[in-house]
Amino acid sequence: MNAWLDAFVQWTAWLGLDYHFLLDTYERDSFVAGAWVTVQLCLCTMAGSLAVGVALAAALVSGRPWLAGPARLFVEVTRNTPTLVQLYCAFLVLNMLITEVIGGANPFTPFAWVVIVISLHKGVFHAEALRAGLEAVPQVTLEAATSLGFSRRQRLWRVELPLAVRVALPSLVNNLIEMVKMTAVASAIAVGDITYASILIWTQRDNVLELMILILLFFGLLSFIVNCLGRGLEARLRMPGYGH
Amino acid sequence: MATELSLTRRCAPGRHPGKVLALATLLVWLAAGAPPREVFAPLLEWSPALAKGFALNILISLLAIGLGTLLGLAIGALNLSPLRLLRLPGRLWVQVFRNAPWLVLIYFTTYVFPFEIRVAGHYLPFPDWLKVTLGLALPASANVAEVFRGAVASIPGTQWEAARSLGFSRGQILRTIILPQCCKRMLPPWMNLYAVITMGTALSSLVGVHDLLDTAQIASNTVNRVGFTVLIYFSVLALFFAYCYPISRFTRYLERRYAFR
Amino acid sequence: MPSADLSAPLIALRDVHLSFADTPVLRGIDLDVQRGQAVSIIGPSGSGKSTLLRCITGLLRPQRGQIRVDDTAVHALHSDAEFIALRKRVGFVFQQYNLFPHLSVLENLTIAPCKVLGRERREAQDEALRLLGKVCLEHKARAYPGELSGGQQQRVAIARALAMRPELILFDEVTSALDPETVGEVLRVIRELIEEGMTCVLVTHEMRFAEEISDAVYFTEHGVIVEHGSPRQLFNEPRSPRTRAFLQHTLGRGEQDRRPFVPAVAAAR
Repeated sequence: MNAWLDAFVQWTAWLGLDYHFLLDTYERDSFVAGAWVTVQLCLCTMAGSLAVGVALAAALVSGRPWLAGPARLFVEVTRNTPTLVQLYCAFLVLNMLITEVIGGANPFTPFAWVVIVISLHKGVFHAEALRAGLEAVPQVTLEAATSLGFSRRQRLWRVELPLAVRVALPSLVNNLIEMVKMTAVASAIAVGDITYASILIWTQRDNVLELMILILLFFGLLSFIVNCLGRGLEARLRMPGYGH
Repeated sequence: MATELSLTRRCAPGRHPGKVLALATLLVWLAAGAPPREVFAPLLEWSPALAKGFALNILISLLAIGLGTLLGLAIGALNLSPLRLLRLPGRLWVQVFRNAPWLVLIYFTTYVFPFEIRVAGHYLPFPDWLKVTLGLALPASANVAEVFRGAVASIPGTQWEAARSLGFSRGQILRTIILPQCCKRMLPPWMNLYAVITMGTALSSLVGVHDLLDTAQIASNTVNRVGFTVLIYFSVLALFFAYCYPISRFTRYLERRYAFR
Repeated sequence: MPSADLSAPLIALRDVHLSFADTPVLRGIDLDVQRGQAVSIIGPSGSGKSTLLRCITGLLRPQRGQIRVDDTAVHALHSDAEFIALRKRVGFVFQQYNLFPHLSVLENLTIAPCKVLGRERREAQDEALRLLGKVCLEHKARAYPGELSGGQQQRVAIARALAMRPELILFDEVTSALDPETVGEVLRVIRELIEEGMTCVLVTHEMRFAEEISDAVYFTEHGVIVEHGSPRQLFNEPRSPRTRAFLQHTLGRGEQDRRPFVPAVAAAR
């Protein structure tokens, strides 16, 4: 392992890049730990944002003004304000208020706030995609299910949702890829993700370009994985004859 | 009711979220009781600094979209070229800068570029906000190139055929037939991109540019009062919303108008 | 072929009224279908024919009037469970087929028997394959609706309705969306069903087909039944001038369309 790293550092040094931090156990470990935190962030926000998306979409199409109105308002505000400002409003304002109220035992860590804010933010985009999917399900197809004696619940789970998810899937995958990139803002409130770990290293060693390449490759890899999973799911759910 | 399935249309609620929001803000304000003076006085005091910060946000966003558009159109043109060798670098550029987190790109341009550049023997300062502008212009250019590609692809192939049958050359078809039709189609996604870039300028506070968010942070730390902190961060949120929401409304209006053509 | 029990019709509509918003669509419809009968409803587009069928299976609720299917008062049903009980007995075939595009042909045929009737999967599959054989599509069991032609999809849709073992089937302009060359295969399936004694109500624009297979024909216009009777009487000696005008218009044009293709039939009329 170390021999490989040595060779890599030598080779990159020959190219004019300084990857010596990889030979320092402490810095290397903190970088790897940062990468792992980013992966955890991605997994948590994926689950969270999809849950928020489904709930918001359900509210948007519920047809009940007292539910759909606030949901639409939330969607508009979230879409039209910067994520970083939302994160500050949550972490610096709400977190402060919570700490004021319940004292030092505040259960919300910066990590939790990042997951909450990004889940809510991307959940909005998921909800829009799902809403479009639900609206794309032809009324006549639902009518056919009704005429076959499906109950409302059966109709939703057997016909409406399967079709809506198929329509929404490409947008959902796009949103998830956007979201992977978005987790980089976690570094703004000192969550030790890969970006934050890199900042700590490059302020010591002044090797911004080298770390930048690693970060970009890392995010590229994550996006690639999400994209592959999405494509795989699309292929599995493909409806022959409907050119998706 | 299941029986009224084909009668009920899913209603589109909240036609005017902006108005609803204004109303909600007003209600919260009233519910909070008499607005305390010690919270609003500092806000008034800090408002010139905040306005200056926001002006910087807008300046960065305008420059970034301008640069990004010029660069993006050039790359888009490259991507249309029939030569593979010319298309490849364009493709690579789009892939790299569309898939990179914006924050990372901003760090990149801020730390990699020098703080001053030498032009013809003179040292010109290269301020951080300009570096951030470049950092935002990079992903903007990749997105503009993609928007451009999408617009060209959306022109039906029959237009090419018709023009070719009239004896136009490839370049002539592009210039006189395809591109004029593209402009209209590009406008909504381009405006959308502009709104996203404007929101992206908030990231500049992380590299020490004195933009709106940075100013708000300084103000919050200086005044150091709970009520003021709440107020100032939500003011920042409201300012961005007030700037971006009309753009997104207008974008949607254009989309709907073009959809019926 | 038709059952002799004239006193108790399987379907009975009395004075049915229905409006969409302010537009009246049905303005007092009376209609009877005996068990085992085939009844056709003809009339110009927008005269409320499809709406009528949707009322019978409870997809739409009339504002006034009575609808009975056997001993069920459809107009008085309220709960989902009651509607589901009705729809288990009434099959419906749509103009646009409305198959479920994400399910294979076989799954389209088995999903409702399994999920709604609670039938065994194995048994439902066997029955589905038998029905596919009946509509000459057993080789398409694994295909998806998007891979089939319109005529094939419509035959699958008929098989899907049959898989519920309904007491009657409503056909809503089932050939209107089809290419002319595939109309025949669908009509053949319907004709077989009628010959087997299935109670059928057809909304159709295929006048010749209606004349040939129906026990009774209803002519509707502007949401009312203008006249009804045996096909022979209605097509050959229509009482109402409106019926006569409609038949002249459609058949006249239809014959001009068809003459080059089937000159013998056209000449015989």
